[in-house]
Amino acid sequence: MSYAAHNRPVTVLEPPSWRAVRPRAALARLAQFSDLLFTLSVHRLSVRYKQSHLGAAWAVLQPLAIMVTFTAVFSLLGGVPSEGIPYGLFAYAALVPWTAFSSGLSSATGALTSHAYLLGKVSFPREILPLTYVVAAVIDGAIACVALAGLMAWYGIGLSTTALWSVAALALLVAWLVGTGLVLSAVQVRHRDVGLAVPVLLQMWMFASPVVYPLALARAKLSPGLYFLYTLNPMAGIVDTFRRGLVLHAAPDPMAIGVAAVVVCALLPFAYLYFKYAELTMADVV
Amino acid sequence: MSHIDVRLDKVGKKYRLGTHRSADTFWALKDFSLEVHRASSVGIIGPNGAGKSTLMKLLAGITSPSTGRITIVGALSALIEVGSGFHPELTGRENIFLSGSILGMRRRDIATRLDRIVSFAGVDRFIDTPVKWYSSGMYVRLGFAIAAHLQPDVLLVDEVLAVGDAEFQARCLARIRELQREGVTILFISHDLSAVEQLCDAAVLLDHGTTVAEGSPAEVVAIYHRRNEGPQRVAAPGDHPAYVQHALKLTNLTFHARSGAPATIVRTADPLVVHVRFEADTRLDPIKFEVSFYSTDGVKLYATLESIETVDLPEGIVEFEIPLLSLQPGTYYVGAAARDARSSHVIGEWDGGSVLHVESSGRNTAGQVFIPHTTRVLDVSAGAAGSARFRRG
Repeated sequence: MSYAAHNRPVTVLEPPSWRAVRPRAALARLAQFSDLLFTLSVHRLSVRYKQSHLGAAWAVLQPLAIMVTFTAVFSLLGGVPSEGIPYGLFAYAALVPWTAFSSGLSSATGALTSHAYLLGKVSFPREILPLTYVVAAVIDGAIACVALAGLMAWYGIGLSTTALWSVAALALLVAWLVGTGLVLSAVQVRHRDVGLAVPVLLQMWMFASPVVYPLALARAKLSPGLYFLYTLNPMAGIVDTFRRGLVLHAAPDPMAIGVAAVVVCALLPFAYLYFKYAELTMADVV
Repeated sequence: MSHIDVRLDKVGKKYRLGTHRSADTFWALKDFSLEVHRASSVGIIGPNGAGKSTLMKLLAGITSPSTGRITIVGALSALIEVGSGFHPELTGRENIFLSGSILGMRRRDIATRLDRIVSFAGVDRFIDTPVKWYSSGMYVRLGFAIAAHLQPDVLLVDEVLAVGDAEFQARCLARIRELQREGVTILFISHDLSAVEQLCDAAVLLDHGTTVAEGSPAEVVAIYHRRNEGPQRVAAPGDHPAYVQHALKLTNLTFHARSGAPATIVRTADPLVVHVRFEADTRLDPIKFEVSFYSTDGVKLYATLESIETVDLPEGIVEFEIPLLSLQPGTYYVGAAARDARSSHVIGEWDGGSVLHVESSGRNTAGQVFIPHTTRVLDVSAGAAGSARFRRG
């Protein structure tokens, strides 16, 4: 016999149930398909840049345009505190992680429904589809960071060791984007309303996060109970920690970043399990 | 004892009809069990809606069964045309890497097989051209070539012979034979009865989601063909109670040359005579005789409907003479029926599943049918005399 039976993987396919999810086997299969994640992410970026004239510049222009808008609006309205640095830099430092999150989440939400033809034809770990949009958003974010570094140099602001907090905040941002992207893309397969709600949700979400105003403002204006609810939004801790560490050279608000870390780490495994459960019958409804 | 690579245990798949709030359900597959031994090839055939594509999706892991359990030993791949996953802006080469990874191949494995994939698809010169400039044939061939170069333990084959031209189909068949020799277990889920007969060790006939017949491919294909004529066999309670179902018995259907001798080799564009032998219990009038030609996937290609005023013979032959057979080389099924001319009810039927093998005439033609034709060049240049125009033919 030319094939060694003990080397062959055994696949068992059963009716959908939480027991049929098998997270360990799912992660092993995801690792097997790591080349697909790479190829599809490269493809995602190259197609986007091939089809637009400004290409990668859009990664910088999107947060820049919002920054210019808010700088103009707030200077007319009499200004918002910006913790001792120019408002433009203050806002842009938060808009870089925020734009990565909002563009990543809105594109990841449609990741499965826009690939319906593949879902019905080929079997591969479906989470790769939303994940490629996360990778693309992270790479766009990295490009926007280059512009942020230029802006910092312009204003004569250097790096301090507190930038390590910013790196930690970015790690949380990616984990949060993966978790929310997995859940929303899977829900979108059954309920297309999600895709329509996400842009509206993201608008409100931005104002519920300290992007165009400082976290200190929220802490000062809200009661302790409301402030705790405010920090349950992980983007509050993530955005503020990123900006503080990088351009304000300050340690994060311990409560904001602590709550964000707990929420993100607690929800990510459930998000993956939910996604793999929904995956079992995804092709029937997409 | 040989290993079982694919085992289906009372597998069922239920679909909800209409919207997701609807309570209407239907079972596309019900209590389906099957065991496929290592290195064997099993064909699963059945009419449209029998549950073949549902079975394909379940085995490929695209969706989950509603009941039962499927166990697959070894890496399973589906031999399908993946061209729909191509991105038009990317080149052939880039798309090979993209589609190959979607099918689970590693980039370095794709790189080592790249040359073979490209020459299999016959797109060597266009490999660095964006696929949006490809002809539809090139597109499909490339999509299929990628899947044909996977190295699975268990292979699912869909409608392989529906892809590309005759030459490419031959290449696909050769590739499947090669995989068979290498000991790959193959599940052939297809409309294509002749391919199942050629390639498989065993076959299963599926209808309405359950197994109807199992056995050797030839037996199962014959049963399939008899059932295919099924609906017409039902006795028609009509306004002519005299015509009971077996008022006319069609006892044989044979192919002959024009001389009347049995046809041994039938070629495209040859004359062909079809004899339908009948026995009648009573005088019948008027009736219609019908001879139908089917492709291997059950599509009715042509049916005659000849009215005959009176049949007053206890036994006889209805002869259909075809001066020029318009079928391209391939395998066809031929059936016959007699109908009451007024009600169109079937009063007699030949369900022996006669198979007609048509061989090539040697003419250089392509497509589904043969259309008799001549070719010539007309001179329409200025000054050419009207009468001279036809002289070049």
